[in-house]
Amino acid sequence: MKLGLVIDLDTCVGCHACATACKEWNGASAISGPLTDDSPYGADPTGVWFNRVRHYEVGEYPGCKTINFPMSCLHCEDAACVSVCPTGASYKREDGIVLVDQDRCMGCNLCAWACPYGARELDPASGTMKKCTLCVDRIYDTALPVEEREPACVLACPTHARHFGDFEDPQSKVSKLTAERQGFGLLGELDYKPVNRYLPPRVPPVTAPAPAPEAASAGPLSRLIARARLALAG
Amino acid sequence: MHAALSVIVFTVLSGAGLGAFAIVAADDLCRAFIARIDPSLPWTVAGSVALVLVVAGLCASTLHLANPKNAWRSATRFRTSWLSREAVFALLFVGVAIAYLALRWTGVGGVPRAVVALLSLLLAWTVIHCTAMIYASLKPIRAWHTPRVPLNYLLLAHASGVVVLVAVLRIQGTGSTTLRAIAIALVVAAALAKWDYRRYLAGDTARVTLEAALGVAQGVRPAGAPATVAARLLDVGHSRGTFLTREFGVTPTPRNRAVALWAMALGTYAIPLAWLASGVRSPAMAVGACIVMLAGLFAERWLFFVEARHTVRLYHGEHRV
Repeated sequence: MKLGLVIDLDTCVGCHACATACKEWNGASAISGPLTDDSPYGADPTGVWFNRVRHYEVGEYPGCKTINFPMSCLHCEDAACVSVCPTGASYKREDGIVLVDQDRCMGCNLCAWACPYGARELDPASGTMKKCTLCVDRIYDTALPVEEREPACVLACPTHARHFGDFEDPQSKVSKLTAERQGFGLLGELDYKPVNRYLPPRVPPVTAPAPAPEAASAGPLSRLIARARLALAG
Repeated sequence: MHAALSVIVFTVLSGAGLGAFAIVAADDLCRAFIARIDPSLPWTVAGSVALVLVVAGLCASTLHLANPKNAWRSATRFRTSWLSREAVFALLFVGVAIAYLALRWTGVGGVPRAVVALLSLLLAWTVIHCTAMIYASLKPIRAWHTPRVPLNYLLLAHASGVVVLVAVLRIQGTGSTTLRAIAIALVVAAALAKWDYRRYLAGDTARVTLEAALGVAQGVRPAGAPATVAARLLDVGHSRGTFLTREFGVTPTPRNRAVALWAMALGTYAIPLAWLASGVRSPAMAVGACIVMLAGLFAERWLFFVEARHTVRLYHGEHRV
């Protein structure tokens, strides 16, 4: 299995619902403990997030486009965060999910340095590294209704810009979406083989410009209308 | 990158200690086969000073951990992790170095001591290399992902180590010109390697852009726009600092950078070189030269961290790293 997310940059409106839903679900998660905040109501609040949404503008006005860009762990196939980990706390599961064993992590930060995407954040309260778990405690939970066995960010997205599935199965929704919409992985040149795919904005269908209403090229109906107009005016 | 004081102390002190110990061991090996590099080299004092530097550095390195109670586990991923290798080889080195000093202390010579000397020499080189490879193996940090990094670490460890040895000799009132010549050669070589590294740092190779990070060429752009269209950050999404900004968002002020560059150039290279070339005057100046060189190396290591720019800075709006 190769579990991961598809993120549709065409429909993402940048509302941060995925990020807050993630924070809410994983804050109580037994997998990586609380996502602690430091002085959340103070002047300088800071805290651990697994998912962060940023906003960019591509191109120059007026031909520009706003891109809302959510980023969480891309669960790389060749995950350097796992190979650099000296304690074995960072590991990749059979199903492709990259996790941190909170009981083994010594908080050396090396995995965060090795991740080009900034997907890992050290929790100073526990002294351990934390990251997206792909809601491993939701997706296999048989106590949940089948339709809710998805990561919290996917369920929360109001525009269905996030999809979860197995990229190894060519018939899965995520594989089909990636194939149809030329989904791509981030920073492919670093060769970490990220699993998550981003779908570029759709290109609107090109329509041929409407022909100019010239008498010679006009159809019989418009010729009739034109003649009627002339008669009425005359 | 954030420059953690504990990591700077660790890499500078352990580097100097490992370099000094490697030279003590090499001197002994040369004696076994040809002749001692420097017959006046006080191996007990020199070897002990070197070992103390290494152990002090290793102790400092644990202060960098957010959860040090799991530090013992760091030996378990030897096959893939340079940090794990560094931990294992550093501990092995300390053991072998103590054994080597014990052999010399008890007057054991011949093949057994030569074997232990060779082992401690190889381990010292391995530990320095592992430390450097922790940085050089990181693809997201262009400033580090180059073979120039292990070369600089090896040369600086030996240059600072040999200056410590020359100073120890001077304080003892002895010293030959051979070790001094080796010291001059190592400091000059380290300076040349640093010059080459800084040329690479200022150059254009292997840089990544914000457009590449967002996938502009893969279609993340307005319809009809060329694949080379530029992107810029509108909103970073967080209102205050995060782990990512604290760890990766560090940029030195131009003034601090200039001060550190001068401190590095003078402290690490120019002043020790002048002291060596002028005939290693006075024991007081020997102590001074060591302190100045270590201070220069602190500036060098600080620059090594704060000038390194991680790819996550692209997502925070930087255009190129």
